Amino acid sequence: MLETDRNQLHKCVEEALPELDMMIGWTRCDPLQTTPVFIRDAKSISSLTLGPFCSQNLAGYLVKPPALDAPPKPDAKPIGICVKGCDSRSLVALIQEKFITRQRVRIFGIPCGGTVDWRKVARHVELGSVKSADVQDRVLVIEDSTTTHRIALEEVLSRKCLGCRHPNPVISDVLIGAEVSPRSTGMETSYRDVDELDAKPLEERLAFWQSELDRCIRCYACRNACPLCVCQDRCIVETREPRWLTQHVGVPEKFLFHFIHAMHLAGRCTGCGECERVCPMDIPVTLIKEKLNKIMEEMLGYSAGLDPEAVPPLLTFNPGETEI
Amino acid sequence: MAVKIFIAADRLDSVLEKLSTKIDLWIPALLKDDKSGPTGFVQYTPGITPAFDRQTTMPLKKLLLPQEETLLRFKYQKDPEGSLKTTIALDDPKEARPTLVFGARSCDVRALVTLDRVFANGPYVDPYYVQRRKNTLFATLVCGQTDSKCFCSSVGGGPADMEGSHLRIVRLEDGYLVEALSKDAQPLLADLAEAPDKSRDQLAAKLVKEASKRQVGDLDTKDCAPAFRNRFQQNDYWASMVSQCLSCGVCTYVCPTCYCFSITDETRNLEGERLRSWDSCMFYHYTLEASGHNPRPTKLERYRNRVGHKFSYIPERYEGLLGCCGCGRCIRSCPVNIDIRQVVGNLKENSNEQ
Repeated sequence: MLETDRNQLHKCVEEALPELDMMIGWTRCDPLQTTPVFIRDAKSISSLTLGPFCSQNLAGYLVKPPALDAPPKPDAKPIGICVKGCDSRSLVALIQEKFITRQRVRIFGIPCGGTVDWRKVARHVELGSVKSADVQDRVLVIEDSTTTHRIALEEVLSRKCLGCRHPNPVISDVLIGAEVSPRSTGMETSYRDVDELDAKPLEERLAFWQSELDRCIRCYACRNACPLCVCQDRCIVETREPRWLTQHVGVPEKFLFHFIHAMHLAGRCTGCGECERVCPMDIPVTLIKEKLNKIMEEMLGYSAGLDPEAVPPLLTFNPGETEI
Repeated sequence: MAVKIFIAADRLDSVLEKLSTKIDLWIPALLKDDKSGPTGFVQYTPGITPAFDRQTTMPLKKLLLPQEETLLRFKYQKDPEGSLKTTIALDDPKEARPTLVFGARSCDVRALVTLDRVFANGPYVDPYYVQRRKNTLFATLVCGQTDSKCFCSSVGGGPADMEGSHLRIVRLEDGYLVEALSKDAQPLLADLAEAPDKSRDQLAAKLVKEASKRQVGDLDTKDCAPAFRNRFQQNDYWASMVSQCLSCGVCTYVCPTCYCFSITDETRNLEGERLRSWDSCMFYHYTLEASGHNPRPTKLERYRNRVGHKFSYIPERYEGLLGCCGCGRCIRSCPVNIDIRQVVGNLKENSNEQ
């Protein structure tokens, strides 16, 4: 099935490439992982892949070099991009906030059955010995030098995938492969991890975050991987003049950074989970944003990145507002 | 006569506890309650879970070059004679306690050769680094867990390389054979455990011999400088290699040889401190000049600098020494899976074209 989808992707990209500025997709670099690629010539198309190992959200590249090398000219060709369900929501959010126009992108939508978190795979298999990996019938099949491991897909999926409500792209020009049914249909399952943490007493929650954030090394991978962290080189945590944050690496400073990050994403975060995926210290930072997303949904009935025409609630201004 | 002991696996905790009464003891350990989770070097306390079975996520450089360090504290004092005059009092809090890192790997210790050249061997000697370096001993594991991202043999090291180590640890099935390699390490082993029996001793010797023959990685790192210079202005080359870079600081912070730092004066009212903290050449602000000009405005120039620094500038300046210990951490932790071996390996391929 994956083979058929991949062939369809190659064929569609081949047809579209002459009309594109470039094509952003994934290529396999390791049995369990992929790396983003930027394709401009037809001979590289065969390296494109899709499937459960394509974990990176590529939408962020639309607002960073090389896609954003120069301000788009009126006659600029569109950029082709592969998106999973969650990635498509980031793309919609970027369109909503006018960082990119709908016409500027040619969207290759890929229904997604969930992405594999290599860290979870490491609980079952020694990563260094993995020779090949494939998902068949919701089972991750891994060959190493001596044996075949079969692990239920649910055990190795990224955390965000377990509560996913939008596995199918919410926006696309071409759909590659068949649509899949969502794992979650309501708030209960989508915010299970947040609810679980919220149910704990305050002291326990504080201790949880202190111990998790203690590991933060302030590498800012979470920020840089976030497709909606659009301040980029002008981020408040690094400005020298004025200097808002100290260079200390105590838990309070890390707390501050992560909450600035989360608050700047309030009502904008689409829950793609990139911040958590890229964290070298395995800190569940998406949880903070999930909490805010839940509040947004409960109080304002709003989920980011679903409707390109919708204005995010915190980007509106109503002088006659009575509810605040 | 070499001083050797055998620590049975079930006695490891009690031996480490005893050792920790002799010296500040740091070991590789889980940083999260998850056996496949992140690891790093932490000060030993009883009950801690050591992680000797794989390379740590974080390197040990923080022991010698902490992520944040107060270089000095200052305090402005108003002069009672004239309110416009102030004096400044400085406090220079240098101290380094004798420390043992138990369970480093060859690559971890190899990285110190690079740090030493920069911080200890002049022309500018860093007293903070030097003092800690002199006070730190390393007990190094003969590495049996190399993976596809490791390439220590390509940069002059190897899984059994003991350069810079004071003790050698060989992991056996039922415990650890520890041997003192230097005189100053011998007293540490006294009264810790029995000497190994002959069969374990022979087995350990065999494992060391096997490990020292193992070739880990086949990257050609010799004389990269001319190829790097040829590539320097080939933007297409750098774009084809690292367009996916996110410009985050992961690769530099997990790197045992990356030593760049920033210095900031952090003042509150009349008091403050001069702080040295890790910096990363992957960050935009790293090269941002006061004028507003930035000589490395995009990730391409920044990544190019990372490669150049490690494989061209350091070797040229320090007689072929590399700024890389082949541990592979930057490859393993990169969020978008950039492989520095690919970037370096391709430097020489048709580098004169264009």
